[in-house]
Amino acid sequence: MADDDDKILRRYRELPREEPPRHLDDAILAAARRAVHTRPAPLVVPTGRQRWYFPLAAAAIIVLAVAVTMHMEREQPAEEVMSSATAPAAAAPAVVPSAREMMRNETAAQPERPKAERKRKTESTDSRELRDQRSDAAPPSELQKAPQPAPPPAAPAQDAVGNIAQPASGRISEQTEAPMAASAAKPAPAPEAKRRFEEGARAASSLSAFARQSPEQWLQGIADLRKQGRHEEADKELAEFRKRHPDYQIPPAMRERVERR
Amino acid sequence: MLAYGGGDAAAFETLYARHRGGLFRFVLRAVKDRGVAEELFQEVWVRVIEARERYAPKARFTTWLYTIAHNLLVDHWRKKGLSLAVLDEEDVPSESANPARQAEAREALARLVQALEALPAAQREAFLLHEEGGLSVAEIAAVTGAGAEAAKSRLRYAMAKLKAAVSEN
Repeated sequence: MADDDDKILRRYRELPREEPPRHLDDAILAAARRAVHTRPAPLVVPTGRQRWYFPLAAAAIIVLAVAVTMHMEREQPAEEVMSSATAPAAAAPAVVPSAREMMRNETAAQPERPKAERKRKTESTDSRELRDQRSDAAPPSELQKAPQPAPPPAAPAQDAVGNIAQPASGRISEQTEAPMAASAAKPAPAPEAKRRFEEGARAASSLSAFARQSPEQWLQGIADLRKQGRHEEADKELAEFRKRHPDYQIPPAMRERVERR
Repeated sequence: MLAYGGGDAAAFETLYARHRGGLFRFVLRAVKDRGVAEELFQEVWVRVIEARERYAPKARFTTWLYTIAHNLLVDHWRKKGLSLAVLDEEDVPSESANPARQAEAREALARLVQALEALPAAQREAFLLHEEGGLSVAEIAAVTGAGAEAAKSRLRYAMAKLKAAVSEN
């Protein structure tokens, strides 16, 4: 069997040994050499003026990036003032210390995320709800601390602004918002915004902190003032209370505590 | 091939010199047309040149080279409306049916050539891969994409038919 195979193969090898023609060899070998010696062409061959396009485009992008960064830095102080001016509206709880602290933290965080400014009305509502919940749950001992808030000098309005102050602060923020909108064209409105904010804060601080509370808490605060001998303040608060709650029947026990004897 | 992929043009010349004859005969005897054979032969080497940088030695270079050739042959047959499966089953009518050629084919070599031409394409390819490429049955199976048993069987049938043709003498 193997002999037969060998016989066939021997016969086959006796056949003419055809070779590729010489010109084909030359063509293939030349193609192989060309392929080795030529590099792949670049996708875009820069010629003439085009060779400046890429460096020029890169430089333009860098300049633009720097300009935008500087512009944003110049705008930053105005945004900070605005966020602190609107923060009290969001940080309404001035009576309950824990809630206030929480809101302070939130206010402190605001410059880091100025976009949150757009949501200030929503936050204000949320914080009001939170304050109500906290104040309902707050023990009387904590409430007694409320009339003596210690406002930090840097943010005088934060602890003093109540529900009545909220529209005022809202107005302030609206007033400061207009220059902010124009600030893209005219930078550095910060001093003006700051001045307006301080005026608003002064107006807001003249309003009672108790006014933001429930009638019972407000009365409790007045009683505390009375107890501390701060009768003039207590009288003013009581008058304000009656103005805002004309139909409210003060329980006799409480009336003894809040009215001047 | 790796050396050529690395930029050594002389390495290609060595490869080419080693395989040019066998590959050319493999193609020529597969298609039985010198013009077509030259085109296909050139195309095989063009593919080799183009693949120089992505070539990864998974098998012998010879196996890879003949795989390219086989694929080009399959494309060629497909263009002619033939398929390898059909060609595997049926004997191709040989030009030796021509009485004038039959007269010339009295000599053993001529009979062998006629028998080779008459082989089904797959069997002829298996034989040529074995003889011209020096491939083993397993390598023939790898090149043609057939199973080892199919490759072995094709080669066996091819040998048997060639033997029969020669022994007629």
